[in-house]
Amino acid sequence: MLEARDITINYGRREAVGDVSLRVKPGEVIAIIGPNGAGKSTLLRGLNGTLAPTRGEILLEGKPLRSYARRGVARRIAVVAQEADLRFPVTVLEFVLGGRYAWSSAGTWGWESDRDVEVTQGVLSETELDGFESRLMNELSGGERQRAVLGRALATEAKLLLLDEPTANLDLAHQATMLRLVRGRCDDRETAAVVITHDLNLAAEFANHVLLMKDGRAIALGSPREVLTPERLIDVFGLRVLVDAHPITGAPRITPVHGQPG
Amino acid sequence: MTLRRSLGVCGLLLLLLVGVLLIASLVGSQRLPLSASLCALVNGSNCGLSSEQQAILFDIRLPRILLAGAVGMCLATAGAAYQALLRNPLAEPYLLGVSNGAAVGTMTALVFFGAHEWSRPLMAFAGALAATLIVYRLARGRAGATPERLILAGVIVTTFLSSAIVFITTLMDATRIRSFTFWLLGDLSGTTASLLAVAFVAAGIGVGILVMNARSLNLMMLGERDAFDLGVEVGRVRLIVFAAASLLVGASVASSGSVGYVGLVVPHLVRLSTSSDNRVVIPASALAGASFVIVADTLARTIIAPRELPVGAITALIGAPLFIYLLKRGTSAV
Repeated sequence: MLEARDITINYGRREAVGDVSLRVKPGEVIAIIGPNGAGKSTLLRGLNGTLAPTRGEILLEGKPLRSYARRGVARRIAVVAQEADLRFPVTVLEFVLGGRYAWSSAGTWGWESDRDVEVTQGVLSETELDGFESRLMNELSGGERQRAVLGRALATEAKLLLLDEPTANLDLAHQATMLRLVRGRCDDRETAAVVITHDLNLAAEFANHVLLMKDGRAIALGSPREVLTPERLIDVFGLRVLVDAHPITGAPRITPVHGQPG
Repeated sequence: MTLRRSLGVCGLLLLLLVGVLLIASLVGSQRLPLSASLCALVNGSNCGLSSEQQAILFDIRLPRILLAGAVGMCLATAGAAYQALLRNPLAEPYLLGVSNGAAVGTMTALVFFGAHEWSRPLMAFAGALAATLIVYRLARGRAGATPERLILAGVIVTTFLSSAIVFITTLMDATRIRSFTFWLLGDLSGTTASLLAVAFVAAGIGVGILVMNARSLNLMMLGERDAFDLGVEVGRVRLIVFAAASLLVGASVASSGSVGYVGLVVPHLVRLSTSSDNRVVIPASALAGASFVIVADTLARTIIAPRELPVGAITALIGAPLFIYLLKRGTSAV
């Protein structure tokens, strides 16, 4: 559904992402991992057209991403950012209905249709926010608010979800809920997700593929088992780690080792 | 917020506006008889009013009230638009320096093209647009525009343009200076038919454009990047809305000077009593803004009648305390 071919993205002269290729197929979850400043967010912003690549090409459903109008991209790719910045009081319903913007039959104005409301209600129950419709966004807890942000992305009915550290400010239980929701969506075999995360264990457990980045370059791309080897992680993060198998899921389990043993 | 509720809110505000309009046309230094005046307003005939009373009602009071209404519409909706676009509940044409930009434009037109009345609203529009773009650029730091930075940028532009205004004033002859000082604070007494027409046409076009972009503004006020991700052509909407808001401010300043705080008070009250949805905030602010300025101007011309206050003094008396309250409360809520 989305293919990036050798894309390079510059900020001024500085190359933030260099020659990265990535292919997203329906039903897959791809985790992007790497140290701060590795170019993960820049890559994600390139994949939805916010930042234009200086070299390389991005194809969305076989056609160049550049050839789509903004509304066309928004119907196919949804982004979940770290945190919503709320300066005006909006209700959860109003916020999530915002995801229906690209589907408005009246162009960029008008009111939401019955179908818009129907889709939104479905998303609210999927994200366990039934009954929250008329609550104000800035009165919600961090976990609830982040679920509403995910809900707005799901309300776009886009088949590709791009998530930029969706769990950064959440506690353990809420992190798992978020990723379970995303994984559940992708198990329909139509939706795919690209998730930036710092939690290597979550990446190992939920992702089909892992893209490891450092200094704007792709170091490795493959299954969690292939990518998350101790040698690579030491090389990329400069930290000794222990990698074994999770006793229940069998996914690679990464434990940082602080200090020198014995 | 649904279409039905929005229409309901606007219907109520329209009734309020009609009531305010009727009452305002009756009160003043000369009180007019109620039933005969109502009859004259509805039928357009004399209904037993003396010719002097008719002249007061139709030639003096009504044009002034209509202008007040148009100015209120322009400023309140422009304020709502700036607030949504700059994501700042404190944004207001007067405080951002946009009104001063329009004032510089108007005065330049008066000094250099005095014979052409049409040059005033045009230059006012150009001045407002220039001031808007300058404030926007100044407020956008590396870390994005914070509410405080925007207000500071507004203060700087305002003081700079105030010096420009003082400079232009010195180019005028002394007899006109007093009327200009009055005009700068917002003065609705100098209405002409063409200025009234300009104000109404600008209000119609400007409010129309803003309503058409209200749904995009709903997303942009929650963050430009999120709006872009959700399909809003952010750059285009920003330009269109800035132009429409500048048109509104330009038309109102060209016809009545800088009436302050209308764009702060009215959208705030509308949001407080309905919702933040711009599809209701903008049309409701248009109607409520018209009522607000008509009431303020009625007070301005009756409190110390037969002498008058500038209407801007009344709106600032109401608006400045509200601004302080909003600032103290933090800008995160409304």
